Order: sequence, then structure tokens, then C-alpha cells
Amino acid sequence: MTIYNLTIDQLVDKALADDFLRLATRRATDRLRNNKYKATEELGDWEKWRQAGETIRTHVVANLDYYLQQLIVQVEKQGGHVHLAKTPVDAVAYVRNIVWEHEARNVIKSKSMISEEIHLNHALENEGSTVIETDLGEYIIQIAGEPPSHIIVPAMHKTRQQVTELFNPIAGHELTSDTPTLTRFVRLQMRERFLQGDMGITGCNFAVADTGSIVMVTNEGNGRMVSTLPRVQITLMGMERIVPSFRELDVMLNLLARSATGQRLSSYTTILTPPKHTSDSDGPEEFHLVILDHNRSEILGDKTFRTALNCIRCGACFNVCPVYRQIGGHAYGSVYAGPIGSVITPLLEKDWEKWGHLPFFSSLCGACSEACPVRIPLHDLLVKLRARKTLSGHTPKIEQQIFKAYRYFFTHERTLRRVLRLGSRLQMPFVRNGRISGGPPPLSNWTKSRTLPKVAPKSFMQMWSELKHK
Amino acid sequence: MTHTNEFISQLASKLGRPTPIEPPQPVSINVPQYHLSNPEERALTFLTNWQALGGKGTIVKSLEDTVKCLREWFRDQQAIWPNKQQAIVAWDMLPTVAEFAFAALEWPLVRYTQAAQNPRERYSLAAQAELGVTGADWGIALSGTIVINSNPQRGRAISLLPPRHLTFIEVSKLRDNLFEVLEELISLGVPPSAIEMISGPSRTSDIEMDLSIGVHGPIEVYVVVIDD
Repeated sequence: MTIYNLTIDQLVDKALADDFLRLATRRATDRLRNNKYKATEELGDWEKWRQAGETIRTHVVANLDYYLQQLIVQVEKQGGHVHLAKTPVDAVAYVRNIVWEHEARNVIKSKSMISEEIHLNHALENEGSTVIETDLGEYIIQIAGEPPSHIIVPAMHKTRQQVTELFNPIAGHELTSDTPTLTRFVRLQMRERFLQGDMGITGCNFAVADTGSIVMVTNEGNGRMVSTLPRVQITLMGMERIVPSFRELDVMLNLLARSATGQRLSSYTTILTPPKHTSDSDGPEEFHLVILDHNRSEILGDKTFRTALNCIRCGACFNVCPVYRQIGGHAYGSVYAGPIGSVITPLLEKDWEKWGHLPFFSSLCGACSEACPVRIPLHDLLVKLRARKTLSGHTPKIEQQIFKAYRYFFTHERTLRRVLRLGSRLQMPFVRNGRISGGPPPLSNWTKSRTLPKVAPKSFMQMWSELKHK
Repeated sequence: MTHTNEFISQLASKLGRPTPIEPPQPVSINVPQYHLSNPEERALTFLTNWQALGGKGTIVKSLEDTVKCLREWFRDQQAIWPNKQQAIVAWDMLPTVAEFAFAALEWPLVRYTQAAQNPRERYSLAAQAELGVTGADWGIALSGTIVINSNPQRGRAISLLPPRHLTFIEVSKLRDNLFEVLEELISLGVPPSAIEMISGPSRTSDIEMDLSIGVHGPIEVYVVVIDD
């Protein structure tokens, strides 16, 4: 059974029972978080950089129509093609048409969260086209048939033994499980694909409005391969992913690289202004930019949640989140996990039934807001989303009943006293060592993984009235 | 109304105002920038940071220095490269010191842009080469980064496909931070089709967070800083 068929409770149980996953999640998040601390401290006055990042992102989002228009004009002036996709279905259809038109057999792809959001590979595979993920982590999870478990380290949840087992059938012989061997295998395997690629699909970290440029931040070099060698390049971007000019890139690139991996700049930071000039000896001749809305315009119109569009997808909030650190990315069930995923998924998908659980995947400790390089008040947005969900009437029946009962008892003092006395007797069969464990549902939802303090023999109200008499 | 106009005007209505006709006032940016006091310090810092990322590097003052360092780095390897005539791919024109040094060593250079008519043949040539040689337009001391603009005499695959990449950069082209480079890029006007900022070798930590070098791009990276 693949993880796509599991319910949220099953996903969480699976994650909690997976010792390696939990070890790997702690290891990855600790490493990334500590590297980030070092890289942000040495920059001097990180708060000023964060403020600058927030100012730039807020300005872009507040003028998104202007900058988007400017970007479109620039890209088209340079000979590129722009497609504005209202929905994931539009975006997929557009990419599919380009693939068909060119009869592209060898489509190579670098990392793009938009491609995950629109489920591009799945759609193209159903049509018989194969897209090869070339980022090492993405390649691993593509073979495994799983979604990414971390926005920066997508295959973080796989052991080297599992990776080796995934690679062996492709290699046709037994590989050893050391990192250099596995890396070398992928280098050789991918080389042929790169050299024969007739179409490249990339993501986009920033698009520069006044030059029509695309900025890609990568470490492996596959992003460069995909945007240098094939004759046709398709770039997918969320419509908010814009900076006005090169001037703002300094702040944004410093914030991104340092927050994501603790690097000063990523190994490859590439600013592309495609298509290639006629006399250039490499680079794509044809360029398509697919710009996805997918309810981002709804978020833009919603002042409460507009700041969610400021996100630069660095993953820093994942690495400090006590919930993410316990369960990893798959348990969220969504393409975007972690605190930011819990904020944007219900807003992008507009489906409380399916995604209403996400704002509750948080202890509201606020570590995410503190980690965010563009100062998105994530925990605050999570509280407001909880309220939205409740107001929209999507609270489970049992919870509604419980809160009705709560209201009743706390407005009827006598009944409350009687019930508490009754409670201290009814709890008897479930009390072990002074704590409640076991019991029928819904109590068992709590007690299956932890205990409750027992109802005290004497209630506070009783003690209070006795004290008053003394 | 076209699809684009419709798309944009829908955003304007979400923002509750018509789309501005004039460009919005740019935001003021106030961040503390990293600065070094002189070229010597800049060259040393650049080199230290480049080496910390796993690159090799040296500062040369003369042609003799350059020849000596290239010999030290590559002679043993070069001796066993199977196809010496096609082992080194390079830009059409490298910085003068580099051109003279390769001539003095009698190591033949394949000029990438002229090597084949068909791009696929050029790629395959670069992929089979042992070493790619380029210059750089800027270096960034703070991050140990080289910045390379594309143009018709250069070729982007040279710094990407061979397992080793060697670049030459003059001290006068080193800058303290990224912001200075971006400002100079703005003053160029229309940007080149690719600006590659390269900080060390290709790296990944995708398998159990274990750092691994050279999964796709060059495995070894070298920089010669020319004291001009």
C-alpha cells in the first residue's frame, strides 16, 4: 500500500512507529538549523536582513499585478512564451502540449515544488511520457513513488540501504551502500540523460520583473544541465515568486541560501535570461514560462493571509517545528509540509474536509515565526486558520458536542459539581498509579499515547468553599 | 480582453485598486554589508573561502608562477589522460596569462564554440574532456564565488560538463559582496542569457545528510587569482 492511500491518522501512526524516519528527521533538521544559525550570525544584524526581506516581499505582493505584467512583457520581448495558468489542470495541459508538439522523448527535470503542486509527473506518465527527476533526492523518491518529505532534502527519510535497493535494479548489479558509490552511480546514470535531453523542465526561485530573468538556486548542478543542454526549456513558477530587479536579489539570495542550508550562496546560483542569443553556443533556443495562480489570487485578496505569499520556500520553519521534527513531512499528507505547508495548503486547495487538520499540526510555540527569514507570522496565521475552519462549520460532530456540553456545565454550577463527583467515581477502573490510562473513545484517542491526571478527590470549588469557612 | 489582461486585472481587483501605470517606488534597503579594506585582503579572503568550500586555489604574480602552478596541479593527471588532444576544452579567448601558460606547457586547448557545428557534438566533446578552462567576470570574497557571464565566445557547458573546472580571475575583478556584483550587472543593461555564480564543486547531502561531492557538475574546481 502506498502512502497516498492512507488516512491522516494512519500516516501519523506510521510516522511515529518509524524509528529511522524519526532519527533521520531529527538529524536533518538539527543539521540544517545549526548551519543556519552559524550562517545568519556571521552576517551581522540578521534582524535587519529579515526586515529587508519582509519589506521587499510585502512590496512585491502588494504590487503583484504590476510586476507580473512587467515580467510577461520582458519575457515575450526576448522571444520567450508565457502561459498564465489559473489552475493546476491548465498548467499540466500547457506543459503536455509542448511535450507533444516537440515529440519530446527525453524530458529531464530539475527541482520544482510547482511540479509537485500540479502533480505534473503523474499526469505526464499517464500519457506515456517519461519525466526524469535529476536532483539526487528527487530521483530517489521518484523511483520509490513517494512525495518529498522535506522541502530542501526530499529523500531525507530513506536509509542508504533503501536507496541502494532502489538503485540496484537500474544498475543491473549490486551496488555497495556507501555515499560515493551511490553518487557516482547517479552521475553516470544521469549523464546520458542530460546529453540526450530534448526538453528541460525547471523550477524558479525568483523571477526578475524588469529583466525577464529566472533565478535558480541549486547545489548539484542538475539545474544548470537542464537549462543549458536541451533545445527547449520550460520553467514553472508560482505567480508570487518575483523580485522587481537585480537590486533586491542581494537580500533575497542571502536570506534564502543562509536559511535553507546555512550556505553563504548555494554552489550554483544561476540567473538565466532565456532563450539563448542566436550566436550563443549553448542554452535553450525555445523558452516557455508557466506561471501558476491556483488560488494564490484568492490569498492575495484575503488581507488576513496575504503575508503567506511572502514565503521564499527555504524550509527554515520545518527545521524548528516540534511537530515536524516528530513526524516528518509525509504525515501531513500534503505537498507542502511543515508550518508553511499547514498555512498554504488549506488556502491553495480550498478544501477543509481534506486539509482542515493541517492548522492543528502545530503547538503554536512560535518557533516557525522566529525562524522565518521574511518574518511571516506563521503561528498567528495557524490560529486564524483554525478559527476559519471552525466558522466554516467543518468541526467534527463529536467536537461540537463536547463544546456544547462544556458550555452547558460551566454555566450550570450545581450540575458541574455533581458531574465532577460522579467523574471521580467513574474513572476508578481506568486509574493506574494515579493517572488515567485506557478508557472508551473519545477518551482513548488521548490515552492511547499518553495518560491524563485523574479527577481529584476534592475539587477546587470544594476546597475553595472550605477555605472560605475557615 | 486578452487572457493576460484578464489575469492581471483580476489581481488588481483582489488588491482593491487599478494596476499602477507608473513603476512602484523601489523599497529602500538598509542592511549592513561586508567590506574589506584592500585588494590583498580581498584576494586572500576570496581564496580562503573558495578553499573552505573544497576548491583549490592560488595567487600568481607572473607567467612563471602560472606555469608552475598548472604543472603542479595537473601534470601527473595529464600524463595519463587518454586523449590528450581533446582533454582540455576552453573559451575562445582566455585571460592572456592563461593563454601563454598553456602554450608554454604545450597542452593543446580545444576551443569549445568552434569544436563542432552541432550542439550535441559540442556537449559530448565537453563531457568527454578532462578539464574545462574559463575566465570569470567577477569574484565574491565573502562567499568564495566566481561569476561568469555567457557570450558567444564562451560556452556555458565548459564550466559544467568536464569533471574538473579551472578558472582564471584578476584581483581587480574581485568584489567584497554580492550586492556590488549585482550593481555592476545592472549597469551592463541587458543581461547575458546566463550568469553563473559558482561557489565550489557540485555537492549534495541527499543521502542520509552525508555530504557528497560531484553528483552532476564538476568534482574538482580550481581557481588561479592573477595579481594584476
